[in-house]
Amino acid sequence: MALGRETKLDGVTLVVDPAEAAGAFADPALAAVRVGWASPGEPVRLVKILDAVEPRTKGPGGGGIFPGFLGPALPQGTGTTTVVAGVAVVVAGHLPRAQEAVADMAGPAAELSPLGSTHNLVVEFTPAAGAPWEAVDAALRRGALALAARLAETALDAEPEAVATHPGAGDDDGADPSLPRVGAVTNLQTQGAFKDVFVYGSSFAGSMPYLLDANELDDGAVVSGQFGHPSLKNPTWVHQNHPVAAALRARHGTDLAFAGVIVCPEPVDQAGKALVSAAAARVAAAAGWHGAVVTKEGGGNADADMALKMDELEALGLSAVGLFAEMAGADGTGPSLVVPPERATAMASTGNYDQRLSLPAMERALGGDTLALVGRPAVDAVELPAAVLFASLSPLGWGRLTCGESVPV
Amino acid sequence: MCNLVSIARRVGAPRIVPTRGIPWPAGDPSLPPAQEADWRERLLRTALAAVATHVEGPTVFEVAADE
Amino acid sequence: MTAPEGRSVGAASVTVRVVHYLNQFFAGAGGEDAAGSPPARHDGPVGPGRRLAQLLGDGFEVVATVSCGDDWAATTPGAADAIVDLAAEAAPDVVVAGPAFTSGRYGLACARVVAAAAARGLPAVASMHEDNPGLDEAGAVPVVASGPVARHMAASLDALAPAVVAVAAGQPVVEHRIGKVPRVAKLSRYNAAERAVHLLLARLHGDTAATEVPLPRFDSVTPAAPVADPGHALVALVTEGGLVPDANPDQLESARATKWLRYGFDDHGRGLAPGRYRSVHGGFSTVAANEDPNRIVPLDAARRLVDQGAIGRLHGEWLVTTGNGTSVGNARRFGVEWAGELRRLGVQAALLTAT
Repeated sequence: MALGRETKLDGVTLVVDPAEAAGAFADPALAAVRVGWASPGEPVRLVKILDAVEPRTKGPGGGGIFPGFLGPALPQGTGTTTVVAGVAVVVAGHLPRAQEAVADMAGPAAELSPLGSTHNLVVEFTPAAGAPWEAVDAALRRGALALAARLAETALDAEPEAVATHPGAGDDDGADPSLPRVGAVTNLQTQGAFKDVFVYGSSFAGSMPYLLDANELDDGAVVSGQFGHPSLKNPTWVHQNHPVAAALRARHGTDLAFAGVIVCPEPVDQAGKALVSAAAARVAAAAGWHGAVVTKEGGGNADADMALKMDELEALGLSAVGLFAEMAGADGTGPSLVVPPERATAMASTGNYDQRLSLPAMERALGGDTLALVGRPAVDAVELPAAVLFASLSPLGWGRLTCGESVPV
Repeated sequence: MCNLVSIARRVGAPRIVPTRGIPWPAGDPSLPPAQEADWRERLLRTALAAVATHVEGPTVFEVAADE
Repeated sequence: MTAPEGRSVGAASVTVRVVHYLNQFFAGAGGEDAAGSPPARHDGPVGPGRRLAQLLGDGFEVVATVSCGDDWAATTPGAADAIVDLAAEAAPDVVVAGPAFTSGRYGLACARVVAAAAARGLPAVASMHEDNPGLDEAGAVPVVASGPVARHMAASLDALAPAVVAVAAGQPVVEHRIGKVPRVAKLSRYNAAERAVHLLLARLHGDTAATEVPLPRFDSVTPAAPVADPGHALVALVTEGGLVPDANPDQLESARATKWLRYGFDDHGRGLAPGRYRSVHGGFSTVAANEDPNRIVPLDAARRLVDQGAIGRLHGEWLVTTGNGTSVGNARRFGVEWAGELRRLGVQAALLTAT
């Protein structure tokens, strides 16, 4: 990775022109933007992380990538998409009501966040005086998506290291029709400013469940604007690399037939949750699914969405498994879930929210100078719960953290 | 007074009054101010009726619908 | 019982040294009359410890017994540590407490003793009935189920002995285990998505029991008796909605709150004015709450109800914490402290707004 006079892919080096990169963020709401690289193994701590985006494009100018933001809001998920894997555009800095999210590029915390193993082009920003925070947020989002597409553009003419072909929903790929049809039901947080998720460019709040092809996720149909609960968030990067879709694709044609992704909002009231959950189960049944892996975003509030979905699916005769982070307290003896399902019983764990971790001192911090949570310099050694590490317990199932029974002293 | 009644039941809260939204336990921003104020009063009156009622276990007291 | 593996020193295996904790009654020191007696250490097994020693067999030795009066153990500050101090004099490899059956003070003492032993790095295990009120105080230490009364001693020791063997060998206690089983964070070879797909395939093929997360058990709460007439009662407003004075002067956390706070109402009877308060709760969008703080702490409506005689008097402050990722332990503690504090102030009912 390098910074240079021209943004280009030079052999195996991705060079970024900082002026051009900053240009992607030109907006009245932003006074200034600075970019710099943070690579795995470097003694760097990222703080106040907002969103992360994987560089992808479908052609010069974007070619339809990130529909509704960069490209027109038209269905995607066909044709060719170029991916620069192992790289992320990461926006970091202060937004109000964003809960502080941290990732280390080295040390024991590095492997616990997706950003610990990507070369991160970190974008720090200074808001324009008097700019409303919503405008700052929107400008950062548009800029990050534009920059991500631009980085991928450098690879359009390069020979790919790997090519993955994924059938579309309607394609007959010869998969054995007797295999169980299985998909993902993905709940998106939709709580308004700074806690919202976008589908085809619009907030998904107020929507009913919608059946997407996983290929649409590959093309950035789901974009995150959700900055609460650092460990429990699903940044854009993780939606682009939807772990449940990936796990289902890996077994497509052998153990199961991968049948798509149903996205649902997470309403903030009980009646809304009940309606969306019943509807999601009906969509899955109508699409001929036999089972679903259910995912969420957020804390205990979202457990209610999970429990309702799983119970509704089981009531219609589908098998359901939910992905939950456990809030078991620092000694692991608290009840794991706020709202467990009543009929469904199968749950995979993404780890203990309250697990304590010791992070060593770093040499450099990006995103801010201070870790506001503890009121100390960001580079200091610090003890933090897993709850604060960016996407470490991501309910889309990215991480390898889990919980088991203890071994006595 | 809470919105996620199932949680309250599950953890054993004896007297529960359902609210209209997580972000506004004693409010309803979809209503004009005078009606929201009226909703808040009816919510509290229901809560007072609940504390004056004998219960054996988790019991939900619904706020009566508008006349 | 066979001796545990992996405890050899050189070529010979080393005997596991067990210290047993009993109350005054089972140690033969007297009944209720001796409940106030301080801890004492005896060499070798005493009372039921003899049968425990037989069940453990070769490779184990009950080297000492510590006995203590139930009252002394349950009420003296530092009792558990004092008892473990005595136990430590015998250089134990494992500390065993009970069986306490349903005896509350004894169960509490056993639980605290094993928790204190574990805090010092000593493997420990306790035995009591699953309804014993002391059960929760053992923390992460294993507790095995005993029968309800002393008549069930033999069967209770039969269940306890294998647990002692397991604990000494660093193995998990599974059979007859009661109480909290702590969740321990681990790094799996597979990511959670892969594990979820694996669980789903198992479920589709008929294994409906497979799960990584056990379904939790919650307390049952005994409801308070109703207030006879709220129109003559002192009522308090309390909340987990994180509403604090605008400057958040006491730094209430937005998540994983470790404290609760109290603030006096200074609204001159008009309800909470916007701009002077805000919610710091990180679990929902606080825009609506900040526009009208009465949406979180319904002071304006409460004042009107006082005027109308529906509430006798309103307590002059609100109690607040943030209910976002709060550990159950802290939430329980806050509730107990709020109840104690409000009761001390003569409050008869608390209206809790929850988000």
